[in-house]
Amino acid sequence: MGGKKRKHPDVEELLNRAWCYYCERDFEDLKLLISHQKAKHFKCDRCGRRLNTAGGLSVHMNQVHKESLSSVENALPNRQGLDVEIFGMEGIPEDIVQQHNQRIIQNYYQAQAERFAATGNPPPGQNDKRPAKKVKAETPDEIKKRLAEHRARIAAQKGGNGGGATHTPPTGLPDGHSPAQSASPGAFNSPFHPPGAQYPGYPNQPQYPHAYPPSNLPSRPGSNVPATSGLPQRPGQPGWPANAPAAEEHASSVAPQQGDDIDQLIRMAEAGIRPPKKSETPAATEEAAPEKKSKKEKDKNVQMIYEDELSPEERMAMMPRYAFNPEAAAA
Amino acid sequence: MAPAAQFELAQPPNDAVSALVFAPESSSRLLVSSWDKNVYLYDTQTAAAEGEAQQGSLIQTFEHRAPVLDVCFGANDDEAFSAGMDWQVIRLDLTSGEQTVLSKHSAPVRRVVYSRQNSLVISASWDSTLHVHNPNDTTQAPLEIPLPGKPHAMAASPSKLIVAMTSRLVHIYDLSALATGLASQTAPQPWQQRESSLKFLTRAVAAMPSDAGYATSSIEGRVAVEFFDASAESQARKYAFKCHRQSQPSPDGAPTDVVYPVNALAFHPTYGTFASGGGDATVALWDADAKRRMKVYQKFPDSVAALAFSADGRHLAIAVCPGFETGMEDYSGEGRTKILVRELGENEALPKGKAK
Repeated sequence: MGGKKRKHPDVEELLNRAWCYYCERDFEDLKLLISHQKAKHFKCDRCGRRLNTAGGLSVHMNQVHKESLSSVENALPNRQGLDVEIFGMEGIPEDIVQQHNQRIIQNYYQAQAERFAATGNPPPGQNDKRPAKKVKAETPDEIKKRLAEHRARIAAQKGGNGGGATHTPPTGLPDGHSPAQSASPGAFNSPFHPPGAQYPGYPNQPQYPHAYPPSNLPSRPGSNVPATSGLPQRPGQPGWPANAPAAEEHASSVAPQQGDDIDQLIRMAEAGIRPPKKSETPAATEEAAPEKKSKKEKDKNVQMIYEDELSPEERMAMMPRYAFNPEAAAA
Repeated sequence: MAPAAQFELAQPPNDAVSALVFAPESSSRLLVSSWDKNVYLYDTQTAAAEGEAQQGSLIQTFEHRAPVLDVCFGANDDEAFSAGMDWQVIRLDLTSGEQTVLSKHSAPVRRVVYSRQNSLVISASWDSTLHVHNPNDTTQAPLEIPLPGKPHAMAASPSKLIVAMTSRLVHIYDLSALATGLASQTAPQPWQQRESSLKFLTRAVAAMPSDAGYATSSIEGRVAVEFFDASAESQARKYAFKCHRQSQPSPDGAPTDVVYPVNALAFHPTYGTFASGGGDATVALWDADAKRRMKVYQKFPDSVAALAFSADGRHLAIAVCPGFETGMEDYSGEGRTKILVRELGENEALPKGKAK
């Protein structure tokens, strides 16, 4: 599946990719990582200014907006702290790097094994997993064993890194349609994609979905971390999709071309297109986009959300829902 | 997110909030009036239940016959007054739950305020009258004062009552004159009659606790700060400013300014700063003297309907529910109404330069 056109990247390649400390997403090169960090993690939610580091953003918030920054936006739950100074790949604590690499390796081998199982190709060497039919015969014991293994691994990882770097596979399914993936398949091929897409063809692991509670999984490549990993969504920041989760679902299921606008920008940058400045948010600003469109444009481009001789309360009072009939009450 | 400097109150009203107010003594007692016909009394300081993000507890609800449009505390933490769509002004005994009708208007009653200094209850109704009541003698007939327009907002400072009406009319009454008027059953003339400094429908009024003046807001993203003192010098100090707006890029290039109504105003009880809450789902803190914005809080999930500072100034309660917008045929705050309580930091509402 998809493997025809390109070979699967080897583990070395995967380990060399630039990746983001805050959300564990990986990138084609360092420049893209930095632009991702500026857009996703170091962007001021008041004025949209992008700073280079979390420390920089903190100072900016303090001086310009008189607010204090308490955590890094869109970061995995255990990576929100301001104590580590990250810039691109610099500053990532060694133990986190180890964890990351371990996860990449583990994912790689697991994906490989599953690929073999799904395609029915015998892996070079020992593994005697066979195409579907054969495995069917080896029922409950095998499955239980596998389940136990997985539980153990999950438990080990939970203990180890608090879910920050659990591995992905089964819930990665939707990645087949994820905006980032589809936006420019050639330019951003995630190595995790193909195995993910193959799970449906691998019917012998009914237990997997239970072994991987979806909520614990950091969403992988194409999808957006903040939406799927259960991070608290900061309410409508300027220049940010106000309801990211919904927007993303929409994007991923309906329109593969328009992903997260930041992703879009990154893709464009990748393709060498310079996005017009200031145009980054038109579709995504604030909550009222649809209703605003229906409003009449006023002179000087001023648009009032409420404009009436009567107060909103009087309007509401006229609705049957809130109406009060004095006669009825008196009776 | 960050440790709760702000928390959501458990068991919020089922529909839009019309008003909320903290008790005069305890700063953990909060009254909320809602379009779902109830007045809710909360204790905001009850600790969160295990595993719950929400805090506080509902002490009691007081059911009314119709949506409740306003509520205020009376002389103490156990007395409250409510006004509603059923045309009535009601005295609520918060301990016994007993409801006494103080007076009846001939249209829904929009606002009710209590003046501690003069122990008067004043209600403003869409029948274009004010009723002045003596809460200590509910048998005494209220004094009726005709108004030139429908009142939309009302607030009392220690000595004055500000009534904002349609057609940008603002009347300021002297509260002691209202008290003597009630005794003699003669309607006093307003102490001052003004025209609003804002060109659009007045949305909210809040009085300075210092008794120096008041702030008004309109549906057109603007707030004005004015002073009672009629001297030219004092009047020169009044000002108005734009707020609760968002610039939105439009396809043809020129950005559109989206203007939200400023639904709520509340003065800090001691610092002379005030908070405004708007349809843009934000709350801003302003320094009325320095004419500076001190802070804008993170956006809330929906429009801000009402605001209140606690008596000690340590807490700010924020009612969040969908805003009613022009052209809406249907409206419901069901399921989206929340009460948030923010614990203010030591110097959060303190004007610049006066920090300890």
